[in-house]
Amino acid sequence: MSLLGDLISNLFRKPGTVLFPAENLPVPECFRGRIRITEDKCIGCSRCALVCPSQCILMVPDQKEIEVKGRKITRKKRPRVKVLRCIRCGLCEDACPSEAIHLTREFSVSGTVCETEEM
Amino acid sequence: MARVIVPVGPQHPALKEPVNFRIIAEGETIVGLELDVSYNHRGIEKAAEQRDFTRVVPLLERICGICSHSHGTAFVKGIEEIMAIAVPPRAEYIRTIIAELERIHSHLLWLGVAAHEIGWNTLFMWTWRDREAVQDILEEISGNRVNYGMNIVGGVRRDITPELNKAALDRLPALEAQIAGYVELLKKQETVLLRFQGVGRLTREQALTYGTVGPTARSSGVEYDIRRDDPYCAYAEVPWDVVTDTHGDVYGKTIVRIGELRESVRIVRYCLEHLPEGDITVKAPRNAPTGHALSRYEAPRGELSHYIRTNGTDKADRLDVRTPTLANWTSVAASLVNQNLADIPVIIAAIDPCLSCTSRLTVLNPQRTSSTEMTWEDLRRRARELNRERERC
Repeated sequence: MSLLGDLISNLFRKPGTVLFPAENLPVPECFRGRIRITEDKCIGCSRCALVCPSQCILMVPDQKEIEVKGRKITRKKRPRVKVLRCIRCGLCEDACPSEAIHLTREFSVSGTVCETEEM
Repeated sequence: MARVIVPVGPQHPALKEPVNFRIIAEGETIVGLELDVSYNHRGIEKAAEQRDFTRVVPLLERICGICSHSHGTAFVKGIEEIMAIAVPPRAEYIRTIIAELERIHSHLLWLGVAAHEIGWNTLFMWTWRDREAVQDILEEISGNRVNYGMNIVGGVRRDITPELNKAALDRLPALEAQIAGYVELLKKQETVLLRFQGVGRLTREQALTYGTVGPTARSSGVEYDIRRDDPYCAYAEVPWDVVTDTHGDVYGKTIVRIGELRESVRIVRYCLEHLPEGDITVKAPRNAPTGHALSRYEAPRGELSHYIRTNGTDKADRLDVRTPTLANWTSVAASLVNQNLADIPVIIAAIDPCLSCTSRLTVLNPQRTSSTEMTWEDLRRRARELNRERERC
């Protein structure tokens, strides 16, 4: 471990930084990114809203017919997510019985209002 | 010589978190210290009583960013004890791996901060560079660099696949080589020796009197480590040694932490190589029976304890968190005496203080216009009143 050794080896290395947003650093497979909801799969059971520690999921009325495992049901609610309040713990993903809500690998979410609602 | 009181904080450019020091000095020599640490009360203990056992874990992980796994594990361990459920061995091993990786990144962070405090920023850059390797392993396993979200009552939430296991094992030799470099560095680097040796000495008797924990106690020759004395997770099955030292000064604390880095790498390697097969979680009941538990955990900074009382519902009736910094604070006042004013930052940094975790109690007046703290006398009076009330019942 010496300063000179580090200095010389760094001359032959690529920079550790990338030109964001033109380039992105690779994120691992299990990265906890922003929530996405597949609306066609959601059965409106509210489990995600009940388990959310930061209370960023709100169930709103939305009547819609959807198909679950070959059966047609009418859901009455659907979740709305305040993306900037989300702490990306993934408890909603674990609780969802129909795999409708999941964490993606998108890490970049920006906004100015914490209460911004987004599906 | 006349005594001068030097006030530092609560808002001060040199401080990372709010704390108020009143340093009593005679010339350049410190003769005493008055501390006021309660500037960052967040009411987390009360907030924890409002959430069920699933939703409370992410909250408790946020008591401290560096020790996030420590708080989560200490809590779920206590609840599992009350519920009398046995966690699968694979989950215990995964908890141990994350805990030790957390210790490595915390100690590397501390080493960088200590180097920064003595004005040697090269070491700061080196340690933080090496810390990236640990952060990468943690990110690959848990999906996060801090606040790993791995714990749940009854096990862990994410498994370590054979690919992740191999990737983590591949990163360890480079980390070990760097840690060996730090050991060599500590022996002969003049900057470190001049600024660390003999600075902020705490004797074994003082360490015991002030109730110090963790590396602060172990550097004064107190052989006390919860991982060995009250084993939890997989520590009883893993071969490792408690690192102690007798210097008691900042140098001793550095030796202990660097020694612990080597032991932690050893534990991580053993756990990754001997990861048992099986489930990573068992189904826990929704409600916990009435009971209480004191869950002790060796966090990177020392012994962390969670006292949990349950009342048959799905929420904790009372949660009391004693963080290691709270136990170590009083020893700072003792180790600062007769030291030079210029050594204050490194002596304070030597216990690796985490102030937000430490702030416990704030009393607001009914109009919420002012806040105070309770003195020792106030607490004693309240305890007496409470006992009398109970006796009358």
